[in-house]
Amino acid sequence: MSDDSGTQVAAAPESPLPRLAVPELVPVAEFLEQSLPFNELPRAELYQVVDKILVQYHCRGDVFNRGTMEAGLRIVRSGAVEIRDSDNKLLDRLGEGESFHIGGLNAERGEVQATVIEDALLYLLPDPVYRGLREGNRGFDRYFSGQRSRRLRRAARYQPEPNIMMQEVRTVMSTDLLTVQSTDSVQRAAQVMAQRRVSSAFVMEGDRLAGIMTDRDLRVRFVAPALPPETRVREIMTPDPETIDASQSIFATTLLMTQRSYHHLPVMVDGELGGIVTTSDLILAKQDDPVYLVQHISRQHDIEGIKGLVSGMANLMVQWVNSGMRAQQVSQILTAISDAVTVRLIGLAEEKLGPAPVPWCWLGFGSQARAEQLLGADQDNGIIIDDSVEPEQLPWFESLANFVCDGLNECGYVYCPGDIMARTPEWRQPLSAWRQKVRRWVTTPTPDAAMRVSIFFDLRSIHGSVGLCQQLQETMLTQSSGNSIFLAALAANALDTRPPLGIFRRFVLDRDGEHRDYLDLKKRGVLPITEMVRLRALANRISAVNTDERLRALVHEKHMTIVDSRNLVDALNFIQHQRINHQCGQIVRGEKVTNFINPKDLPKMAKEQLRDAFTIIDDAQSAVRQTYRAGMG
Amino acid sequence: MWMFRLRRLRYRRRVAGTALHRCWQAPLPNTGKDWRQVSYLVVDAEMSSLDVSDGELLSVGWVGVEAGAIRLDSARHYLVKAENSVGQSAAIHSLRDCELVEADTGAVVLERFLQVAAGKVLVFHNAALDMAFLNRVSRQAFNAPVLLPVIDTLLQEEALLRRRGQPIKPGDLRLHACRERYNLPPYQGHNALQDALATAELLLAMAAHRGGRQSFTLGQLL
Repeated sequence: MSDDSGTQVAAAPESPLPRLAVPELVPVAEFLEQSLPFNELPRAELYQVVDKILVQYHCRGDVFNRGTMEAGLRIVRSGAVEIRDSDNKLLDRLGEGESFHIGGLNAERGEVQATVIEDALLYLLPDPVYRGLREGNRGFDRYFSGQRSRRLRRAARYQPEPNIMMQEVRTVMSTDLLTVQSTDSVQRAAQVMAQRRVSSAFVMEGDRLAGIMTDRDLRVRFVAPALPPETRVREIMTPDPETIDASQSIFATTLLMTQRSYHHLPVMVDGELGGIVTTSDLILAKQDDPVYLVQHISRQHDIEGIKGLVSGMANLMVQWVNSGMRAQQVSQILTAISDAVTVRLIGLAEEKLGPAPVPWCWLGFGSQARAEQLLGADQDNGIIIDDSVEPEQLPWFESLANFVCDGLNECGYVYCPGDIMARTPEWRQPLSAWRQKVRRWVTTPTPDAAMRVSIFFDLRSIHGSVGLCQQLQETMLTQSSGNSIFLAALAANALDTRPPLGIFRRFVLDRDGEHRDYLDLKKRGVLPITEMVRLRALANRISAVNTDERLRALVHEKHMTIVDSRNLVDALNFIQHQRINHQCGQIVRGEKVTNFINPKDLPKMAKEQLRDAFTIIDDAQSAVRQTYRAGMG
Repeated sequence: MWMFRLRRLRYRRRVAGTALHRCWQAPLPNTGKDWRQVSYLVVDAEMSSLDVSDGELLSVGWVGVEAGAIRLDSARHYLVKAENSVGQSAAIHSLRDCELVEADTGAVVLERFLQVAAGKVLVFHNAALDMAFLNRVSRQAFNAPVLLPVIDTLLQEEALLRRRGQPIKPGDLRLHACRERYNLPPYQGHNALQDALATAELLLAMAAHRGGRQSFTLGQLL
């Protein structure tokens, strides 16, 4: 290019303000000023680098990695870019105003690759200019050497352990050992095994491990040949079983067991019997897999055990999210886990209290019922008892409810602040009483009642008689669908919280101001959507409970357009995604998990999308107002 | 490209020794080359009327594209000294007479333009209009038209939409509308350089989309 400089019109009066040689590039400078960490640069310095920028366009799927020719900082002007490490684990998603330096990331993290996931216009700040800025400006430099890489390192720390197979077998063995004496009768031994729900027992002669007796031994060497019950354990056990030392790896253990077709293997700790490992223990060693976590929970024998597993849930969630799991799946799994905890606690209570005197059903309400739970959910539950129950049988249910509610609280599903729990008598009743209660709510709705009971209209059977739950739900739908006064009360409740669009407007106006607006994503984003969808579902006699399923049913029965329903699903998923991301960040930083975000902390793209989501909620609320509250203000 | 050589031949004697002649001495780009290996000058002009017979050139802005990237250090914007009053069009491009009076003449601006345009392919959104005005200045100054290869992003986009069988509504081919189809961000328009920058981004987007991962030649863009 020639080195003549443009003739400047509107010649500036002598002014100390820095000016760009080409004023038409001011929009570029303004864009940079709004992007981290260029906001740290004095304007004069910023203006010196603006015209060093190269503008490039990349289609979706274009990749930057070590082989990328031009080195430099790439700033996303529009579109989106994803950064993954060599294991293809997602490290970061970048939107408008965010930047990445592929060389720098590679130096820190090994083979990192950036992929364009939405057609992108990128500003490339060539390496020499970028380095110059870092050298000359501490604030700018700190952003790249400090916070940014820390964030990536943190993500890396929560990488699922790739070498789980190399861990010692002691980490997965079961130490809850059942031993029998070699002189015991086989029948006695089998009874103990059944009681403890285990498939194997160690056979001892004094202190010495003499053999192992498994379900298989019982089948093959006892039942099949029809031996008498008083046969000694010694006669059917597998004598002198092979053992493995606790310091051996899971890999070595798995190899041994598959080669010899063992299903059980005693584990020796310091030369003494210390535990047992089974094939299913080895499968369960893949603990980060949610399916196994759920199974693990169902195998616990006390609240402590359940609590131990559930306490690891937060870190697991970070792993799932890092590996790209979507918000909907995360909440489905978290719900499956709280279901499993509830069911296991009920099982433990029944072991203590004996079987239920009459049919009954444990209900989950609210987000658990909708399968939309996230971390930090409190418990909302109830019990329906069959109408055949006698007064003297009621204490069984009270004891059970207390046991389960206390257990849930101990496991982190804290008591419901509104007392909507099975341990409260009001929420533990025979079916006929529940039905009466529903009729009362529906015929004389007060605004307070509408708010209090709305959560209860999302219900699901967690354990016990599904029929009882269905009958109650049927009553609810019959009572509420035709009742415009009740629906209007629910609508008033759903419209109570307006989406906080203003926060964004202020945000734009007051970019550098000191306002400290926090946003409750659950209250302002999730609840308005679930409440509106619940209202429409009840009004149209739709029995689905999950928001997504309700919306699909509403579309299917032509009560809602596909566009409106998709918009709401997208808005809900996006807000849930933000909630989950936010919670993951809090977990990684060791903070308490909350639903409060500061929109200031969101990347530009997320901010835009969040505003879109709130606009959709606002529109949907207008529609609800017209349909269910016409003339009521 | 032989067409340009042939037509330039006609004017060779007239332009001898002028800036236009020096511009023509640069080799013409090879149409078989990958589009990224070609240098472009993306240009936009503002005029006082859309009719070349009674309007005049008011400002010109341009920016270079090298190796598939827009070089902001090549961005330039020049006002052109008005011979007549700007009149009504001031409302559109916010250029006032008093600013234009102090500007360079069309011939001076054209000379600067030819210096940087040598060996490059010109790019316009709606080339016919801008080229008509540039050629008029050129004929006045050198008694010859500019005669440089030109890409018109508007015509390219129109042809693309037609190939896809999409109906073209009024306004669909305006710069804003074209950019939107490629997910390019909104921009502030109505300044020759800002429009040139916006057109340059559109050029990159078009070429990137049509080229895919394979090579995409200059010839396919002309």
